[in-house]
Amino acid sequence: MIERRQIHVGAYLVISAITLLSLLPTIYMVDLSFRNPVSSFSPSLIAGHPTLANYQTVLANPGFMHYFFNSVMVSLSTVALTLAFSVFCGFAISRLRIWGHNFVFYVILAGLMIPLAGLIVPLTMTLKSMGLLNNYLGLIGPYTAIGSGFGLLVIKGAMDNFPVELEEAAVLDGASPSRTLFQVIVPTLRPSLLVVAVWQFLYAWNEFFLALVVMTNPVMKTVPLMPLQFQGPYMTDPGALFAVLTLISVVPMVVYAALQRSFVGGLMSGSIKG
Amino acid sequence: MQATPYGHGTKWRGWIYAGPSLILFALFMVFPIVENVVDSLYRNGVPGLTLFNYRAMLHDVTFGIALKNSLLWLVLTTVVQMAIGFFVAVLLESRIRWGRGLYRTLLFLPMAITPTVIAIVFSNIYAPDYGLLFGVFKLLGIASRFPALLASARTVTYAIIVVNVWQWIGFYVLMYSVGIANISPEVLDAAKVDGVVGWRRIWYIISPMVRSTHMSLMILGAIQALQQFPLIYLMTEGGPANSSQVLGSYIFQTGFLESNMNYASAVSIVLLVLALIVAGVQLLVTRGNFAIGGGTRS
Repeated sequence: MIERRQIHVGAYLVISAITLLSLLPTIYMVDLSFRNPVSSFSPSLIAGHPTLANYQTVLANPGFMHYFFNSVMVSLSTVALTLAFSVFCGFAISRLRIWGHNFVFYVILAGLMIPLAGLIVPLTMTLKSMGLLNNYLGLIGPYTAIGSGFGLLVIKGAMDNFPVELEEAAVLDGASPSRTLFQVIVPTLRPSLLVVAVWQFLYAWNEFFLALVVMTNPVMKTVPLMPLQFQGPYMTDPGALFAVLTLISVVPMVVYAALQRSFVGGLMSGSIKG
Repeated sequence: MQATPYGHGTKWRGWIYAGPSLILFALFMVFPIVENVVDSLYRNGVPGLTLFNYRAMLHDVTFGIALKNSLLWLVLTTVVQMAIGFFVAVLLESRIRWGRGLYRTLLFLPMAITPTVIAIVFSNIYAPDYGLLFGVFKLLGIASRFPALLASARTVTYAIIVVNVWQWIGFYVLMYSVGIANISPEVLDAAKVDGVVGWRRIWYIISPMVRSTHMSLMILGAIQALQQFPLIYLMTEGGPANSSQVLGSYIFQTGFLESNMNYASAVSIVLLVLALIVAGVQLLVTRGNFAIGGGTRS
């Protein structure tokens, strides 16, 4: 028994050390954002005399909020569309068993296996010819297309477990397929919908490569492009730059922290497979 | 084929439900890939089909570096992330009782941070004279031997790979945790009765039971490694002397900085073919059983 307890203490030590190591860069980032210009070039984790001046500098900067506005628009639209389309498509494949349902499933699943970097060049040209450069749709469309692979995988998996008897009862009561979908099936999908929503939100909020080449107009740029914009102006003022970085990171971290219990629960509950 | 209660008509009409997804997929994935193939067969500004770009790649030293680095990224990040993630998840699920959820959440947090932010934070950590790592060297009294990790062609790629590993560990831990939590207790109990414990239990019981998690993390890791761009672009711009270039950053350089979209298209094809190979291997090994999370139950 004693031996067993020692192993557990050891496990806590190892896990705590790894967790600390994993949090260190984030702590360092927040710490730098509170430093004054004198101590910001000091090679230590915690320097004394914290100041809020950096945040005052940064927040006084006009044209800061539109990055957040753009990202909110793009991310929320992407999440909404991915959920809606994945539910529709999952319904067609899993419940309606349309002709070619396996084919449709694997085609859209293939989106999971396409690296975006390999699509950047032609995608930019396609978006240009559609007039979607510097347009929210120019990001929302591709993000939704890419995310639909994961969305469909999760949602179709959850729908496969839905008991056919309940559907039969709804149909006997005269419900149309769309009514059955929305009033009988969708309410049971909440855990899976949340998994997809969190994942897609983090993806759309943090995506950089496509945003870089699609949003060339400063007014349309999204949050991941901010570090690039502020790196130059704040070169000699790292405190201010790290205040920007911290502010950028707060939103997705808070979103994840708030929803993580349901996110993990959703992953745990469903056997997500294709 | 399994019957549905909706009547036969929906087997065709049901395509309306699949429509939006398929249209988006065609518009933003299939069409660009076709266009990519076509574009790669033209020489920049010259009419007529040609293999010029592909022949040029064979003699392009930077392309060689980028390809080699992308493969290095693919293998190293996937293997290291899976190994650490699996090890931590096993510890977490079998040896930790209190605070398991908290550890998982804290480990996952880096996943929520934008890669561009991470790039700048780590550039600072690696920086000579004022970086955090330099501080550690100073503390140990070996400041004079501090390596400028991002400035040396020998170390730069590994230094950036470490950043990727740091960011993704939490995701791997979470996925393995889900997989391990879904192993039925009877299997673990039976193993214990048979005296299969310790490393043997991990190797012969737990690892095979999360096989589908191994497989999906392998492919997700590989694809993620292949599309790497933000860390490299913000930390080194592919330097010093192109030594940290990967296919993603080289596509950006040739296509958008040097305005040679046709050559960039050809490089993109190489990247897509690599992804196709990865996906094909995965499909062969798992026979189409792609699973995320609790895939061991059916």
